[in-house]
Amino acid sequence: MPENDFILGDIRVLDLSEDVAGPFCTKLLAGLGAEVIKVEPPGTGDVTRRTGPFVHETPHAEQSAAFLYLNTGKKSITLDIQSPTGRCLVQRLAQECDLLVESFPAGALDRLGLGYTALECLNPGLIYTSVTPFGQTGPYRDYKGSELVAQAMGALLHTIGLPDQEPLRIGGNAAGYTTGISAFSATLLALYVRDAAGHGQHVDVSAMETITVAQIHASIAHQFGRTPVRRASTLAQAQDGWVHAGLERGVREDTWARVCALMGRPELADDPKFNTREARREHQQELLTLINAWTATRPKEEIYHTLQGLRTVAGYVATVADLCTSQQLLAREFFQCLDHPDAGTATYPGAPFTIQGAAWHHTRAPRLGEHNVEVYCNCLGYTTEDLAHLRGAGVI
Amino acid sequence: MPQLALEGLRILDLTQVAVGPYATLLLGFMGAEVIKVESCSRMDISRGAARPTSQGEGLYPGGDPGEQPWNRAGHYVHRNGNKRSLTLDLATPRGKALLLQLATICDVLIENYRASVMDRLGLGYEALAHANPRLIYVKISSQGATGPERDYGSLGSTLEQTAGLASITGYEDGKPLMTNETYPDPVVGILAVGVLMAALRQRRQTGRGTFIDLSQREVTVAMLGEYVVDYSVTGRVPSPLGNRHPHLVPQGVYPCQGDDMWVAISVGSDNEWRGLCRAIGQPNLAQDPRFATVLTRRHHQAELDQILAAWTQEREHYQAMQLLQAHGVPAGAVLKGGETLVDPHLTARGFWDVVNHPEAGTYTQVSTPWRLSKSPRRPATPSPSLGEHNSYVLGDLLGLSQQEIAALETQGIIGTRPIGAEEE
Repeated sequence: MPENDFILGDIRVLDLSEDVAGPFCTKLLAGLGAEVIKVEPPGTGDVTRRTGPFVHETPHAEQSAAFLYLNTGKKSITLDIQSPTGRCLVQRLAQECDLLVESFPAGALDRLGLGYTALECLNPGLIYTSVTPFGQTGPYRDYKGSELVAQAMGALLHTIGLPDQEPLRIGGNAAGYTTGISAFSATLLALYVRDAAGHGQHVDVSAMETITVAQIHASIAHQFGRTPVRRASTLAQAQDGWVHAGLERGVREDTWARVCALMGRPELADDPKFNTREARREHQQELLTLINAWTATRPKEEIYHTLQGLRTVAGYVATVADLCTSQQLLAREFFQCLDHPDAGTATYPGAPFTIQGAAWHHTRAPRLGEHNVEVYCNCLGYTTEDLAHLRGAGVI
Repeated sequence: MPQLALEGLRILDLTQVAVGPYATLLLGFMGAEVIKVESCSRMDISRGAARPTSQGEGLYPGGDPGEQPWNRAGHYVHRNGNKRSLTLDLATPRGKALLLQLATICDVLIENYRASVMDRLGLGYEALAHANPRLIYVKISSQGATGPERDYGSLGSTLEQTAGLASITGYEDGKPLMTNETYPDPVVGILAVGVLMAALRQRRQTGRGTFIDLSQREVTVAMLGEYVVDYSVTGRVPSPLGNRHPHLVPQGVYPCQGDDMWVAISVGSDNEWRGLCRAIGQPNLAQDPRFATVLTRRHHQAELDQILAAWTQEREHYQAMQLLQAHGVPAGAVLKGGETLVDPHLTARGFWDVVNHPEAGTYTQVSTPWRLSKSPRRPATPSPSLGEHNSYVLGDLLGLSQQEIAALETQGIIGTRPIGAEEE
């Protein structure tokens, strides 16, 4: 393999997933160079095409920021997989693919003759990854999920937020992304097996289990007689936002004296209320008041760099705008610009990891059905007349 | 008996605390042989203090640190099953030499020290690749292996801030909040498994090892991608929405019977809204023009919240979930950590492993967030005691004699008790 080649350059993926988790998994596979054929329902497409935020005022299927981000590097074809012709086409495509990723309710594809068992007969090497809220088995398999429900059932929600308010979710689509990451790792584990042994398999990824793994703390603490509870915030107010001094954990004991000197309060260095990690944790709110007095008049990023210089684990609450100007992220060329004919030029987070010698495939998200001709004609051997026919029948 | 996915893969694990240990825990479940390397002067911090000074520090079975607290500290025990333990003082020339020798019989080295620690020890990627050109070096760091902040120290909680996650987490008052759960640690731990598999595939193609640079901050920013894209075009900076959602209305967390018990509800379509009306015994609400569409429901969400809370308050969280789900409404009990341990669904799926640990007693352990139909995970093994496998690794794997191993122990290069354990 030449330098900077694609690790998955020989892999083709049939992507029957939508929303966040499945598409994030296949976005990462596309990044490693796999050819990802995204199958979308004719007319409407992936649900994220209809959810915002939209980069221009009115909703537009090609201007959803979530769709644009989650589907870089992929091809899009339209197909009504519920129709008899559609099912047939999925079966044919599955024979041309190495991986299949889907996010239908458990059992839905089985009923269409497109379940793992049916497709395994046609293509024994196929890796078939199902990404669902609760997995393919168990009493909740038919339950509906959402970002909020996944965070709730994985015991993450209960401990987030303030003690006197309701449990709070992590913002954005954290559970969806994390489930997509699980699906990515699981799919590549199965590919590792296939590269050695030749056979494919069914990969079952559940959002509830992903969050339960991610929230390992809650299950641990419970077994030691500690019920994790929602706690008061330890963020301090800076002149232009929020910071965290990072003094409770992960710092050397002599750091505290240096921070006291910095804040102009050297007498606090020996104060038993603060001079050990445990003491600082116990008097967290008093400590916060002291720190607030110092941070309130200073810019957040200056505080972050100054306190990091004293070997704390300080942080600042970066807004999305701050991320785009972070010296660290810019120095690593993390962000990349991509141009899209309908959405225009935008900044995208680039590869979330780098493997030396491997290239990262990063091209704009496809328009709905943009690759119909390429996939149906070049890959499956249909003529343009056949395509017109399928289009007329509403199949594509 | 089907084969384990990672049978025969040997991993040198220099990770500590959370993110790295999560990755190697999962790799161990899938069949890899994981050799965790610590030293008696620098144990994994999650083992706690050699002699804990205050009550309340650390989690110990029965609240008792016992004679060897470092082998039974809760956070250590639960994150380090499926591994073997070797102690090796990497500050000594002999310790370094042994690590390099070990690298020649391993496929992977994974570490999550501050970015420059391994280079300073003379054990950076170049040195290790020289010893074993097929070695895959997985570097997990908070900021990545390069850049002006590469040596900044972080915990998962720090990264939630610097990666922007805290800026979109919070109640509707717009104040940012941390999760208190160091969320970026498990996420990157789970991702590291897949990235390593990709690198192993590359090695199969090239015959050579490689270097993986995994920045926890960047992975976490990648979970905010849509906001970055949107900001770059429109200049909009997102702020916290509480439990609300722009398109799912109603969405929220509603009080149930019992202390601090809640149910989460997300209504994503008019169909689901009609299902909700039936579930709560008020089918007429579906005809109410205030609630007919997402737009009008959003406008009247406060009224909706009252109607829903009045219904949920009369029920247990699981009961509310079941009734709503029976009508096709996405809903979930807001489970506490203890409740997931006995949840019927997770139990039916065999998600939890029960482990009998010689020093920490019996406990329940999370397993993997995935199931592979033909490559089952193996049952969790107890986390190893400090240096438990010194003799296996140095003797059986590297071929050192009993005398040589004894000499290493005398010189303090290996051991089974942390320095400081004998101080009181």
